Amino acid sequence: MSTYDANGITLQQVREHVWEIPQDGEMGAPARVLASEALLDEISDDRTLQQLKNATQLPGVQEHALCMPDGHQGYGFPVGGVAGIDAENGCISPGAVGFDVNCGVRMVRTNLAYGDVEGHERELVNELFDAIPSGLGGGGVVETDVATVEDVLDRGTDWALEEGYATREDLTHCEDEGQREEADADAVSQKAKDRGKNQLGSLGSGNHFLEVQRVTDVFRPEVADAYGLAENQVVVLIHCGSRGLGHQVCTDYVRRIEEAHPDLLDRLPDKDLAAAPAGSDLAEEYYRAMGAAINYAWVNRQLITHRTRKAFEDVFDAEPKDLGMELLYDVAHNIAKKEVHDVDGEDRELYVHRKGATRAFPAGRPEVPKAYRDVGQPVIIPGSMGAGSYVLRGGDASLDRTFGSTAHGAGRTMSRTQAKQDFWGEDVRDDLEGQQVYVKAQSGATIAEEAPGVYKDVDEVIRISEALGIGDPVARTFPVCNIKG
Amino acid sequence: MSGEVLQMPFELRDHTADVAVAATGDDLAGVFAAVADGLAAAMCEEIPDSDGDGNIERFSLSVAAESREALLYDYLAELIYERDVRIVLPVDNEATIRRPTTVDQSEPAASERIEAGPIESESTDDGSTNGGSAADRWLLDASARGVALSSIDAREVKAVTYSEMALERTPDGWHAYVVFDV
Repeated sequence: MSTYDANGITLQQVREHVWEIPQDGEMGAPARVLASEALLDEISDDRTLQQLKNATQLPGVQEHALCMPDGHQGYGFPVGGVAGIDAENGCISPGAVGFDVNCGVRMVRTNLAYGDVEGHERELVNELFDAIPSGLGGGGVVETDVATVEDVLDRGTDWALEEGYATREDLTHCEDEGQREEADADAVSQKAKDRGKNQLGSLGSGNHFLEVQRVTDVFRPEVADAYGLAENQVVVLIHCGSRGLGHQVCTDYVRRIEEAHPDLLDRLPDKDLAAAPAGSDLAEEYYRAMGAAINYAWVNRQLITHRTRKAFEDVFDAEPKDLGMELLYDVAHNIAKKEVHDVDGEDRELYVHRKGATRAFPAGRPEVPKAYRDVGQPVIIPGSMGAGSYVLRGGDASLDRTFGSTAHGAGRTMSRTQAKQDFWGEDVRDDLEGQQVYVKAQSGATIAEEAPGVYKDVDEVIRISEALGIGDPVARTFPVCNIKG
Repeated sequence: MSGEVLQMPFELRDHTADVAVAATGDDLAGVFAAVADGLAAAMCEEIPDSDGDGNIERFSLSVAAESREALLYDYLAELIYERDVRIVLPVDNEATIRRPTTVDQSEPAASERIEAGPIESESTDDGSTNGGSAADRWLLDASARGVALSSIDAREVKAVTYSEMALERTPDGWHAYVVFDV
């Protein structure tokens, strides 16, 4: 097996597509990058590898810290990073979850074929753009008071069900049924709630979007059948998170942990790895606050789903249930959760941190919704506007290799500032329209920043995921209409 | 990065998925305000001289923290919070800083534009400035002009980070480097 050197760091190939940074110096465990050499060239082009090494210094990291095939530099902990940390003697780190708690994706099926939508793309993209708040200061589907925000934080999509924004089936097809049991609104600051009042049901901006897509390829027909997917079918993908409320939760706890646990912070190489020791009051409080922000994000995506159904109803003059608009699945890719995993032959409870990484549990795992337990958990991987997206199922090897995780997207290769120099939003939009992809955004700069050319090759990311058995491709989709902030 | 010459008080710098601001100032308060103006520029390329109604309205804020770096972090986080609750883009930022009374007042302060102690009040906003006595903390008073978000083409910065944060003296004053999560 070969070695790979980058930025003074040597990686040893331990098997095909698995590269290890051996434990040395201050590292608390080895680190592994899951990538082809082509992806490793991109991953090693910034500070990703150093951040991955740093992540091993979090107390209690089990086996090895991991970087998924779409990994890139983040703050403190790399994006695409996964760490299983002992929940009894380790720690929990807000920076290893990310500011956008429960940033995630959901996919809504329809019974429309692509031919049913052709000719309606402009009307549909305009209807969706008008119906769904996006951008900075664009408001929310529900603009409300703190008491309602607290209800959302405590109850998640159960609140949306009671208010008529969700169906019972929406809940049973969502990770954790759209409600974290430990969530506690009292652990969330007043500031976070203030920010959450006017953003409930909004996309935001950056890389978040709503996309109408068509299924172009089915790779595993039996699994696709279980997921209700078929070639040429129209689906909707929604990508956003917990908005300002979640960002404030992370900001608050990074600072509180910094002040309360300076001894631990002094031993870490990056302040954005600030961590609360497992069992400490702050660890428990952050876990409850994070759970509440997770609930907020699920309600956020649920309200957008509600408005999406209404937009389709208006354009296609049919009830959402008659259009078959059912939730396929909703999965987080910025989260830490207590999960039981096999470590050295023993079941151990871990805080599994996934920052820009998606849970990918195989068939049989009890956390997988009943509807999919025989085939494996759906994993939704959004790609760029020009390359399409994927639906995977959790791979059989994911529990052994990645604490049940895989990639979360294509992963950026180009900075936003560079993208705005290299691309012009109107040109990107016109090029996409030439490919029958209709894009509408609050800002032309956002389209330039999210141009297809700024992302890694999502096909290669998926190829590595499949080769390692951590996520198997089920279907591929291609955009029809895209709205963003 | 130390000692570099910037053409403006701030510049936006490349970062893989986020954005960074490099800034300089003649004194500590000046570099804080320059980073804040960089934060506004990261969200909006064309900032108007007044809000959509032709009005110019400023708002004030104060934060306290245990170190200079923490004060910068809390200041920028507070601006992001104010952006979301006031629904305005904070621009044309101004700041003054008071050092803790426990810091040796004989330390050269000419380049800090600091009003030496005593600090009479401390921010008690939950979640960000717990612990420590008032005398131990750095205090910032700031103001910004709020431009209505509805009147501009702006994109979201989610949060300030500590990642690669630099705040250091230079022969000409102060230099700062801050990465923001987008």
